[in-house]
Amino acid sequence: MSTRITVDPITRIEGHLRIDVEVDGGRVKNSWSSGQMYRGIETILQGRDPRDAWVFTQRLCGVCTTVHAIASVRAVENALGIEIPINAQYIRNVILAAHALHDHMVHFYHLSALDWVDVTSALKADPAKAAALGESLSPWPHNSKREMEAVKDKLASFVAGGQLGIFTNGYWGHPAMKLPPEVNLLAVAHYLQALEYQFKANKVVAILGSKTPNIQNLAVGGVANAINLDNQATLNMEKLFMMKDLLDEVAAFVQQVYVPDVAAIGAMYPEWLGYGSGVTNYLSVPDLPLDTKGTQFDLPGGTIVDGNLATLKPITSFQDAYFKDNVTEGITHAWYDGDWDKHPWEEETVPHYTEFDGDKKYSWVKAPRFEGRPMQVGPLAQVLVGYATGHPIIKKYADQVLNTASAIAKVKLTPAVLHSTLGRHAARAVRAATLSELALKHLQLLTENIGKGDVAIFTPWTYPAGEQRGFGFHEAPRGTLSHWVVIRDGKIVNYQAVVPSTWNAGPRDEKGQKGPYEASLVGNPIADTAKPLEVLRTVHSFDPCLACAIHTLDVEGNELSKIRTLT
Amino acid sequence: MSDEGRAEEGIEGQRRLAVIGLGNVLMGDDAFGPTVMGAVDAQYEFPPEVAVLDLGTPGLDLTPYLLGLDAAVIVDTVNASGAAGTIVLYRRDEILKTPPQPRLSPHDPGLKEALLTVAFAGGGPREVLLIGVVPGKVTTGIGLTAAVRAAVAEAAAEVVRELARLGVRARSRSPQSPPDLWWERP
Repeated sequence: MSTRITVDPITRIEGHLRIDVEVDGGRVKNSWSSGQMYRGIETILQGRDPRDAWVFTQRLCGVCTTVHAIASVRAVENALGIEIPINAQYIRNVILAAHALHDHMVHFYHLSALDWVDVTSALKADPAKAAALGESLSPWPHNSKREMEAVKDKLASFVAGGQLGIFTNGYWGHPAMKLPPEVNLLAVAHYLQALEYQFKANKVVAILGSKTPNIQNLAVGGVANAINLDNQATLNMEKLFMMKDLLDEVAAFVQQVYVPDVAAIGAMYPEWLGYGSGVTNYLSVPDLPLDTKGTQFDLPGGTIVDGNLATLKPITSFQDAYFKDNVTEGITHAWYDGDWDKHPWEEETVPHYTEFDGDKKYSWVKAPRFEGRPMQVGPLAQVLVGYATGHPIIKKYADQVLNTASAIAKVKLTPAVLHSTLGRHAARAVRAATLSELALKHLQLLTENIGKGDVAIFTPWTYPAGEQRGFGFHEAPRGTLSHWVVIRDGKIVNYQAVVPSTWNAGPRDEKGQKGPYEASLVGNPIADTAKPLEVLRTVHSFDPCLACAIHTLDVEGNELSKIRTLT
Repeated sequence: MSDEGRAEEGIEGQRRLAVIGLGNVLMGDDAFGPTVMGAVDAQYEFPPEVAVLDLGTPGLDLTPYLLGLDAAVIVDTVNASGAAGTIVLYRRDEILKTPPQPRLSPHDPGLKEALLTVAFAGGGPREVLLIGVVPGKVTTGIGLTAAVRAAVAEAAAEVVRELARLGVRARSRSPQSPPDLWWERP
């Protein structure tokens, strides 16, 4: 007899992401991932001036704002053949690296850690032992006994005041929680410290973008950051130094806290290095361009098939034909009229909602495919591509995480364990550490180039007559993002955003191939069907983001989220 | 907002008070919060300790904007009973009355989690007023329904009343320009 569990966050208007799993004998046998919200950005953009598209796409999602802005200007520049000044590349690069650093830290400490860390257990910890453990893992100066005592006291007073509210969405006391009290205390301390450091990364975005979360400094053709080293109102030496200080601090936290924490947690949940692999075809795009044309990059892109690093095919430029020609989206199991598989430029989406039917249509998310294959996107894809191409920084941190985890687990862990639920967290930490170096590198490149007297930030251009098609990609915190635009006589006639969570959360395709969330859940253990913590662990490891386009606060005590179990 | 430095200073935590609009401008009545921020910013000037912020739908990324605040006035759509356009006010305790629920997407959390997170970190606003509106239509598309648009002025006035209660005087701008609701331009 199998049990069906539906995890369905419900808001007044619509839910966001719904996961259904069939459990038999304590294991997930089958699963369905459903996006419960219709986006339809193309209807808002059709007929508009392509120069304005980024301002609107930035509002698609409240968390991934800058990434949609950057992908959009790249798509329009690609369509119109615009090459932007090198200063503009560097400025965009520093923004996207700082944004990703902020995002990866928030994801691990504030959004996912409670899947692994039992906060109440930290109250039983010995602060001296927690400090000794922290000091054995890293030279970070804020792991002292005094710090651990202060955090434990703070937690105790929070609990005594009945204020544990922030942690009630965690499943403490769950049988799948296994960390010793000292590790839990160390993690709670770092949870608090991460608040401060993610904010420092975000501050860099604010300095260059004028504002966060919605930046103001982009333009099709470059950026709007006037450069004059002696002018208070422009990008000047003081601001460049301020950003360097902030990024130095962020790099220290990521390298000395985030990376060892992930390695330690991975080592203490070794079984989760065996669950959750799912789709092992991977896609990432290159990013952090080093030239004006977008032909050389500091982050690697490419595809890997069947988890075999030897199958690597690189993606190498903003004009890359291998990427451009092989992306499709299908709607066999999505709530749109018809049954097709089309290139994004050719899509005409007509919403047609029917009820949830796992055999027919069950999601608003389309099923993107690359050469007909489902692909997993995200930091793991980029780290594996980096590993396959011998990217020195990625390889350094990947080896460091694996070696640290091996030493704690007392077993030799190889890169093969990265194809897993905890492997995705490890890869995100590796990517964050890589970005912590590269953000500083690109800030340095910008500073040096300005020092040579180059202050160009914008390439003037005019609309050609007729029709142009373009695509712009960006390796966003959640993975490969691409925007596709068709322009006619200076107006948008079609626009599609193929977002990372579409690649990962998409439904089955016409061949019945599951999407990455669906495939990754099969085989996961479920200790308690009323509290499917294990489902949350695997889904959270992808860092899903379907939810952001809509939210309505629930303040009247209605349940925001429901977990239903049907036997 | 016209003042470019505000968000930057806001997250620095140098200011004591913030007026924050939440909502997605591409989703019909969900644009209420940003629209009210536009109205407030076009009509009034505030002393430098007050930041007026349109933050979109930041989820837990709201947290850094709340750190270091003494008081926050938040404008958003709410899931409450009543006709579309009804304004409902909530204080901090009422917002936090029910605990957050297990969530599937890490981006589901919102105001409730952000307030609790900053409280745990030791730096959140003690005084919070949520000015909520019951939305009519929240689907992809730009523009407020008539009933919700009619509530914008009342919500803006409520913002000014709350700031006055907190000891901050708003000055009417002169001359006044129309609010910059860029997303409503064709």
